[in-house]
Amino acid sequence: MDVHRTIDAVWKLESARIVGGLARLVHDVGLAEELAQDALVAALEQWPVAGIPDNPGAWLTTVARRRAIDHIRRSRQTTTEMSYVEQPHQAQDDVLRLVFVCCHPALPRDARVALTLRLVAGLTAAEIARAFLQDEPQVVRRIAAAKRTLAEEGAGFTRPSGDAMPGRLASVLEVVYLVFNEGYSATGGRDLIRADLCREALRLGRMLATLAPGEAEVHGLVALMELQASRAAARTGPAGELILLHEQNRGRWDQLLIKRGFAAMLRARALGAPPGPYVVQAAIAVCHAQARTAAETDWTRIATLYDALVRLLPTAVVRLNRAVAIGFAYGPAAGLAEVDALLTDPALRDYHLLPAVRGDLLSRLGRHEEARREFERAAGLTRNHAEQAFLRRRAAETEGPAEAEGPAETKGPAEATLGAAVAAFLARDDLGRATRRSYGQTFTRLRRALGDSLPLDELTADRVASVCATAWGSAAAKTWNRHRAALRSFAVWSSLPGLADGLERRVETAAVASPVPAASLLDSPALPLRERALWRLLLESSATVTTVLALNVEDLDLEDRRARSGGRWVTWRSGAARLLPDLVAGRTSGPLFLTERRASASTVGDRCPHTGRGRLSYERAEYLFKRATGGTLRSLRAAG
Amino acid sequence: MRFLMISKPTDTPPDEKLFTEMGAFIEELTAAGVLLATGGLEPGGVVLSSRGDEITVTDGPFAEAKEAAAGFALIEVGTKEEAVELARRFRRIVGDGESTVQQVFGG
Repeated sequence: MDVHRTIDAVWKLESARIVGGLARLVHDVGLAEELAQDALVAALEQWPVAGIPDNPGAWLTTVARRRAIDHIRRSRQTTTEMSYVEQPHQAQDDVLRLVFVCCHPALPRDARVALTLRLVAGLTAAEIARAFLQDEPQVVRRIAAAKRTLAEEGAGFTRPSGDAMPGRLASVLEVVYLVFNEGYSATGGRDLIRADLCREALRLGRMLATLAPGEAEVHGLVALMELQASRAAARTGPAGELILLHEQNRGRWDQLLIKRGFAAMLRARALGAPPGPYVVQAAIAVCHAQARTAAETDWTRIATLYDALVRLLPTAVVRLNRAVAIGFAYGPAAGLAEVDALLTDPALRDYHLLPAVRGDLLSRLGRHEEARREFERAAGLTRNHAEQAFLRRRAAETEGPAEAEGPAETKGPAEATLGAAVAAFLARDDLGRATRRSYGQTFTRLRRALGDSLPLDELTADRVASVCATAWGSAAAKTWNRHRAALRSFAVWSSLPGLADGLERRVETAAVASPVPAASLLDSPALPLRERALWRLLLESSATVTTVLALNVEDLDLEDRRARSGGRWVTWRSGAARLLPDLVAGRTSGPLFLTERRASASTVGDRCPHTGRGRLSYERAEYLFKRATGGTLRSLRAAG
Repeated sequence: MRFLMISKPTDTPPDEKLFTEMGAFIEELTAAGVLLATGGLEPGGVVLSSRGDEITVTDGPFAEAKEAAAGFALIEVGTKEEAVELARRFRRIVGDGESTVQQVFGG
């Protein structure tokens, strides 16, 4: 067999454990990966000549570890950890820590995904780029930036502490499910299912279930993915077209994955915790898997589960799915009422499944012409070729007999639809280029929201007002007025007076939006002292969030306005200097910034000896800042 | 890609050490998220053969039992090389003998 392909295979199987083990030694995942890559290069040089070693994984581990120890010696760091004691299950603990660091809250979501696939799943940058339809250099840059951010934040290689754990775990699960969904329903391109990504996500999920067996949501996510993956083969037809759940050939569902999904679900239930969002979604998938035919589906139970899911995860998409379930459980009219309540939700503005679901409900109610327009609008909103073809087919099939046989003259002139009228309006000679571009933005939104084939006589002031409120309701007054002017001009041109009557002119003020909250907000006495002191300290010291949160009372020199942090000093100015004495309030040691909660006795370094409270976590600090100002702590530091 | 790994029976009976190592190996495969199903098979089993309209059912054991399978593992990985690497580790644990690795189509 080809040596290089064998090396790739060994790397894929071993890289997470190797990188994890090295990160434990050097406390820096970026450096750990470079050292592991060095070992890989050594293998590429030596194995083709000397042959593949007996135990290739152990060979790579030994070489990489030797490089790490050399590195530590060179940089003259402490040598105490070089003894490298292997605990039982050490490798598994290393991999779990690696997962948490890759999904660190300081990283943007795209970076978490890329880093997890790179370091935990062992994918190359080229593979990640291909899977996400991006350029390879873009992915390489994103990964490099992520490693830099982790080093700057001093993320190190620790397990999240107790109160940070749920948030950090949620971030990990989100990344895994994102990878799965990217594979399961590709956002662009021709392959509806990019099987590779689904397999990687399943592999990561199954791995997590072994690493963190006490977390019900991990098993819930695994169950959800196994059950969804069980339908992958039945989900597309011979020409790659999409087949809906209730039309699928259930004989093509993968029974092995269904059983694995059920088993994961039982493990989640056995833990006895109140069900989280993944467990509830898995329970819905279980309902589908248990129905031998589409008609046997227990939609009443599914609708009830969606009620529970909406409470846990009140997103627009979940509410839309709930409406679908209600449509099946209690009839299309009930479903349509739920869907129509979502029409003004900005989050669903360009979401193709909203008109697709509406179209389905309308067609079941016999409102074929409206249904057809919704399917066409949905097709215009998705980039996925298989979904586009499916929606166009549905639109074509929805020509109701009454309308299809109707007299041709009722169709009217070509301008009688929204799409044609807008095209004619924008094609006028007397519009300047800038005006045409500006109007274009307004009408692109209107056409997406209402569909090109909407007859002009159904274009009412109410509909226009609703689209505008959803799209620009929270925009600046100037933006609002610009769109309003475009619509008023169109109303005059198309002889539809009153079309823009639902749109009030707004008063334009000269408010300047600032990414950093005003000093008055940061110093507002209405906010707790701890928050004000933390923010002032970040602003004035320009130290990293992690550094500031790691400060202990005994490190402070209030007189000289500085604190010792590692080998460096963190210094501040008068604002923080005014607040810190009150925050310390007589304490002599322990974490400077404390949570409201008591820490367990085992977390000695992060526990206040006076009050027993724990150290304030990054996640909590970030949350508090976001709640008060809407911004991120990092922006505060950058502004200092 | 799914691969079915089948191992043939050996002359040496399994000992305590083999059981422990196999347990650890299966645990490792599970933790890596690649093992879908695994199991051991009874020696011999029942053989069905058909010729024309006639179907013959024969109970074991059989002289040529060495050709039968003794155990299987269904794994899901990205490449054939990964499957072979995993089979290599398996062979290192069980000692002398033979395994086959075959891709499962449509899985």
